[in-house]
Amino acid sequence: MEVPAVRVEGLEKDYGKVRALKGISFQIGEGEIFGLIGPNGAGKSTTLKILATLLKPTAGKAEVFGHDVVEEAGKVRGMISYLPEEAGAYKNLTGREYLEFMAKLYAKGGRNADEMLELGVELSGLGERLDDKVSTYSKGMTRRLLLARALMVKPKLAILDEPASGLDIINAYTIRKTIKALSASEGVTFLISSHNMLEVEYLCHRVALISGGRIVEAGTPAELKERYEAENLEEVFMRAIGLEGGQK
Amino acid sequence: MSDFWVLFAKELKNLLRDKKLIFGLVVVPLIIYPALGKGMGIGIEKARGETHVAIANFDSGDYGSLLIKALNSSPNVTVTLVEAGDVAAALERASNLKQNVLVVIPPGFSESIAENRSAIVYVYGIFSSLGTGMKESVSEGRINAIIQALSRGIAEIKVRKLGFSEPSALLSPIQARSLSYVRGRLVNVSPSAVSAILASQSVTLPIVVFLMVTLTAQIAAGAIASEKENKTLETLLTLPVKRTTIVASKIGGTAVMGLIAALTYTFGMRSYIGSSFGGSNVSLGDLGIRITPQGILLFGVVVFLTVAFALSLAMLLAIFSEDVQSANTVVSSVILPLAFPSFILMYTDLSSLPKAAAYALLSDPFTHPIVAYQWMLAGEYARIAWSIGYLSAAALALLYLTARAFSGEKILTAKMGWGRRRR
Ligand SMILES: Nc1ncnc2c1ncn2[C@@H]1O[C@H](COP(=O)(O)OP(=O)(O)OP(=O)(O)O)[C@@H](O)[C@H]1O
Ligand SMILES: [Mg+2]
Repeated sequence: MEVPAVRVEGLEKDYGKVRALKGISFQIGEGEIFGLIGPNGAGKSTTLKILATLLKPTAGKAEVFGHDVVEEAGKVRGMISYLPEEAGAYKNLTGREYLEFMAKLYAKGGRNADEMLELGVELSGLGERLDDKVSTYSKGMTRRLLLARALMVKPKLAILDEPASGLDIINAYTIRKTIKALSASEGVTFLISSHNMLEVEYLCHRVALISGGRIVEAGTPAELKERYEAENLEEVFMRAIGLEGGQK
Repeated sequence: MSDFWVLFAKELKNLLRDKKLIFGLVVVPLIIYPALGKGMGIGIEKARGETHVAIANFDSGDYGSLLIKALNSSPNVTVTLVEAGDVAAALERASNLKQNVLVVIPPGFSESIAENRSAIVYVYGIFSSLGTGMKESVSEGRINAIIQALSRGIAEIKVRKLGFSEPSALLSPIQARSLSYVRGRLVNVSPSAVSAILASQSVTLPIVVFLMVTLTAQIAAGAIASEKENKTLETLLTLPVKRTTIVASKIGGTAVMGLIAALTYTFGMRSYIGSSFGGSNVSLGDLGIRITPQGILLFGVVVFLTVAFALSLAMLLAIFSEDVQSANTVVSSVILPLAFPSFILMYTDLSSLPKAAAYALLSDPFTHPIVAYQWMLAGEYARIAWSIGYLSAAALALLYLTARAFSGEKILTAKMGWGRRRR
């Protein structure tokens, strides 16, 4: 049987007294683009951080390509690339130096740093500004730099927490196309959290709806719309978390 | 390039481009310290300049005139005679004339000397402003020296008149010759000169060590805390790199800065002390103290381990802080009290303390460089080895804790706003 890219089972996480995750389970197949949606504080970022080996689950299990994120954290880190929800780059470096630094760290096992850098430069779309210090970038420019760094390494699994937040329409559009292309051509698996239903609907093969630390729905966007007799994912979202009645 | 060197290069690049850091590391020790020293040197130089002395002579005899002549012919002294009815008026005149000193020769001065009674001459320092008072003190010293020389001259003449051929033997029947016995070796240097050279060493070293330790601790804390503040930490921790390699690269980057600090501050302090207090013309070599390469090596290891200890302590504290400011606050409030006891050793040495107090001092790693320096001079290498053992254990224990903390998730979830209101 093929090993799933991500397997999460009965995952729980407590931050002191706050119970952020109350037992969630899902799987992501290789090459899939999987969307995690849900209201603020639902537990999306927490789930992503556990898979990115940053946090340890209180209970339950999480695996990336069959490797446990706690026991084999080093192996997992070799396969993933994680974009935090809120992140920055080293202010005293230029954008190019930042990408170069990252490329060198990922260029292992015969992988070529120059190729990564070239792709990163292209994905960032920052042109000449790439030679300016990161401290002079706008918020959106920094985000593009970080996205470029996360994608240029062509990881087996990319974990992106609200990737397009703060990006303008054109850049958000370009990024979506890049993600789709990488998934199709390189077989990169994506786990994405988002508040943009349009983005999720366009991008994701499958979606899980998370609320209050539990998964309340999962399926393809089409399945979900049918199940809730909704026009779009936004309506599915509102009905699934019980904020708006169905049309039946 | 291995991961370590990639990370290390990034740390260095990031640090070397930090303008505030470069200011503290280069501009302060290499430009501001020597300039301060020069400034003090100029002040002393100025104080050593011309002494302006006013003289009010109420005496009519020959000895009064002799004193005036003596003052007049002394170098660096300019004499102005003031005419006044009484001392108060003379003081006022002298002050108006901006003189540093007023010498009052009272009536009957010559008569007293002639009759073999003690004569008194009054020397008033005139403080027109309340500055350092250095000028006035130097002036007084000069005048006193002249008066004493004259006094002695008169005494010798009197003694000779009485028929003694060697007046100085009569005037100072006992003469002291000071020599020193330094660690079993006789040297032809007075004890005060020996202690002066030892003191200048024992003052510089604690200050340099103190500055170096606090500075590297701040840099180390900043290296961790800035990753949090700039939100680069989460990305860093998910990179395909061992956590211990990350910690090592941060220690390496900070250590290079610490080394630069050690060099610039030693150099800066040297020129500060050299230019303001004037170098002693006695060297350690004159005292028969030989510093061997082994000694230097052992001492270097002690300094290195002390810095390593400060570094890992600062990093450990920074891991639990939420931003650079609170990291700096907590690091200062832990490192400063620990670094302070080493200043005690500026005034006392370990062997003169009660045993318990000595061990208490030695339990503080930051006292070790100072003590080890004294041991190095004394050639007591076994004791330095003991110190190296203790420091290694302390530094390793802390390093282990730091690496542990760095691998856990506390580094992400701990958000201590040390000493500030929690948000
Ligand atoms: N470091 C932390 N300490 C304590 N509680 C936390 C911490 N991080 C998250 N939480 C809590 O865990 C829960 C889930 O947070 P999480 O960040 O996973 O939500 P999210 O779904 O990503 O929300 P958003 O859409 O706002 O990003 C929230 O109740 C939050 O308050
Ligand atoms: Mg979130």
